[in-house]
Amino acid sequence: MKIIKPILGFTAFALGLLIILAGLSYLFVPRTNTQAAGMEEIIANGIQGEPANSIDVVVVGDSESYASISPLLIWKDTGYTSYVCGSGRQYLSYSKTLLERAFENQSPKLVILETLCIYRPIPSKTIVMDEVSRYLPILRYHDRWKYIAQHGWSTSGGEVYTSPYKGHRLNSKVSGVEPSNYMKETSNIAEIPVYNRILVEQIQEMCQEHGAKLLLLSTPSTVNWNYQRHNGVSALAQELGIEYIDLNTIPDQVGIDWSTDTYDRGDHLNHSGCVKVSQFLSNYLEGTKLFSDRRNDSQYANWNTLLQNYETDVSSGKGDQR
Amino acid sequence: MSSYFSPQYLALLLPASVCLYAITPQKARRVILLLASYLFFWAVSGSLIVFLLFSTLSIHHLGLWLDMLQQNSKRELAQAEPDQKKALKAKAKKQQRGIILLAVVIHIGLLLTLKYSHFFLTNGNSLLRFLHLPAILPVPTYLLPIGISFYTLQSVSYLIDVYRGKIQADKNLFRLALFLGFFPQMMEGPICRYEQTAQRLWEAPKMTWNNFFLGGQRILWGIIKKMVVADRLNMFILNVFSGYDQYNGSVIALAAVCYTIQLYMDFSGTIDVALGSAQLFGVALPENFQRPFFSRTISEFWQRWHITLGTWFKDYIFYLVSMSKPMKNLTSKARKRFGPRYGPILTSSVALLCVWLCNGLWHGSAWNYIFFGLYHFALIFTGNLIQPIVIQVTERLHIDRNHLAYRILQTMKTTILVCIGELFFRAEGLRNGLKMAWRMVTDWSFAPITTGNVFAHGMDGPDLILVAVFLVVLFFVGLAQERGVRLGERIMAKPWPIRIAVYYAAICFLVIFGAYGIGYIPVDPIYAGF
Repeated sequence: MKIIKPILGFTAFALGLLIILAGLSYLFVPRTNTQAAGMEEIIANGIQGEPANSIDVVVVGDSESYASISPLLIWKDTGYTSYVCGSGRQYLSYSKTLLERAFENQSPKLVILETLCIYRPIPSKTIVMDEVSRYLPILRYHDRWKYIAQHGWSTSGGEVYTSPYKGHRLNSKVSGVEPSNYMKETSNIAEIPVYNRILVEQIQEMCQEHGAKLLLLSTPSTVNWNYQRHNGVSALAQELGIEYIDLNTIPDQVGIDWSTDTYDRGDHLNHSGCVKVSQFLSNYLEGTKLFSDRRNDSQYANWNTLLQNYETDVSSGKGDQR
Repeated sequence: MSSYFSPQYLALLLPASVCLYAITPQKARRVILLLASYLFFWAVSGSLIVFLLFSTLSIHHLGLWLDMLQQNSKRELAQAEPDQKKALKAKAKKQQRGIILLAVVIHIGLLLTLKYSHFFLTNGNSLLRFLHLPAILPVPTYLLPIGISFYTLQSVSYLIDVYRGKIQADKNLFRLALFLGFFPQMMEGPICRYEQTAQRLWEAPKMTWNNFFLGGQRILWGIIKKMVVADRLNMFILNVFSGYDQYNGSVIALAAVCYTIQLYMDFSGTIDVALGSAQLFGVALPENFQRPFFSRTISEFWQRWHITLGTWFKDYIFYLVSMSKPMKNLTSKARKRFGPRYGPILTSSVALLCVWLCNGLWHGSAWNYIFFGLYHFALIFTGNLIQPIVIQVTERLHIDRNHLAYRILQTMKTTILVCIGELFFRAEGLRNGLKMAWRMVTDWSFAPITTGNVFAHGMDGPDLILVAVFLVVLFFVGLAQERGVRLGERIMAKPWPIRIAVYYAAICFLVIFGAYGIGYIPVDPIYAGF
């Protein structure tokens, strides 16, 4: 009997705390996806500002994804709509969260997962925090106190954010590299962290539930990619029955010139490299026969406007200023 | 598991240990503590746990050996003729000193090898290059087991205390193992003495609700200090210290102040978690901080900051050097030459210099740490020298040295000197530290602060306000503690609805204002790296 009282006491305390945190969560969750409303990673979350069911292809991944893929160039080539939910040093757990959010409003037929985050170990603290914050979003959005302190509480909606480049980040600077030992063939396999393997499986299940195909894509990077990692992802893709394309292994088809197509000595592609990868993807997407050309659809007219703006930005050297 | 702030520690190891400890009989509790301690060590440092096991076994064995020699010596002395006693005593002392020397060679040698060989060999190579000698010394890189700097000092102090007859050698290996490896003290101390904790740990006292709540409160307070303030300042400090050449003197000075705050909040917060964790089990670890920023002099500061390290150096380095025969001779000569006031100050400064060299080196194997130690030595030495002059001058000018304004000025002076020292402590190398200090002197402008540009480098206005408000709260808490108010016990004395409300408020404060999640980099406890 002695033990019952403290157990009941702790349970009551924990329940009370959960109720308070749930109440705070309600107050702290951003009402819209804008930075002013307290949303994190607004470019990656900009897909929430897109009209419902308007995106054909969703890309998730870290900086490699938003540097290498331009949805507006794919639109120009094919008339397919895509969005890059990419953020710097993205953890795979966050890729999953972004995808969950995308599926709330969109029904993409294809999801592309850029593979570098598969190799990024997730700190245990982040894993726990990600899982708990699904149920108690205050843990994710607690920093909104700064916004609330300045603007006060608001429970209504408001302006939404949409990315002008659909998640892509333009960088036209050139800082080339002469790669050595890049993609030197080996049978060694770089081990994928266990939790990340589980996350890939969960992402695959999520895609299947929403009727989307999952594609694993390794974009070109001399700094971040190697044959061991290629082997690791190939093995995983084979095991799970997921299609995998490694652009690092098919330089002839992509045509990356490392002296001109990178802005940081092989770490990321610049605009010139992005054009080549986007062109490759356009061809791939056309080959899937999953999508229809929307260039003449009046509901998508603003994509043409955005494309014009993008091309103006490129030609005016906006990407050189980054 | 990386620290006391990791979910594995706070949500698994600590609660599981507490629950098991609470439901097991007394004799099994000590086993729970020892197993939890080794589990913690293994979770942080993996197979490097062999170093802790080796230290425990060797210190235990050397302690017993010392004890045996002491017993033999006592027996021999009891049976010896009066004229033989002096020689026997000398012989016994020599043998015992041999054991101490052996222990120092093994344990400090191991610490030096693992922690300092990289530094010494790298500097050796620089010297060889400077002398245009073609040789290159191989520079190995070793993994450091967690807490080696802390448990090594505990091991050595145990053995020296046995040698000095202050304590008896422990025949019980497991009690000694628990004393050296107790998990709440493992990461950042406090550096405990055998007589302070060993027996209490071995007794494994019954858990009480009072200790449980007091310990829990202290853990929560420590987490708030670390996660709300220390971790919040991290990004700004990181930016300024890694790219100081982009900032002018005022920003560098602000970064030095912020780092001093960060270090205090981080270290004292971790110690709060350590002491709170131990208190859950009914074990009182020694305090390591006593409101250091209330200090009026640098000497006083070091009596209030990292207290257990300071007392360790005092007992095992300062006294060792100052009470040695050559130093005693030097003191009597200096007393004749410089008078009774300055003579002892000058000779004790030799021991002081040894202490501060060791203090600097203990913190890390780099020149900026050595400089940090020498800087504090210079401040304390100068303080000792000019103290009589200050007393004379203030008396002549009829200045009351206990007046509040005078005390505030002294406290501010001490705080500024500490912040300058921490600039070198945090700088990425001594050269960068000197350049940063030079920039503070030659490139000073308040513009980045007045225009708000400073807020674009990892810390915004609300961050600064939050830190400032917290510091004000901390100041009043410190003031109350200086007057003997025990806030933890005050909370405990309140009716339970008020207590529960306080706990909920503290947890919500931590959840909302903690610097964690997106936009923040998790920061491991700073002193765990030393």
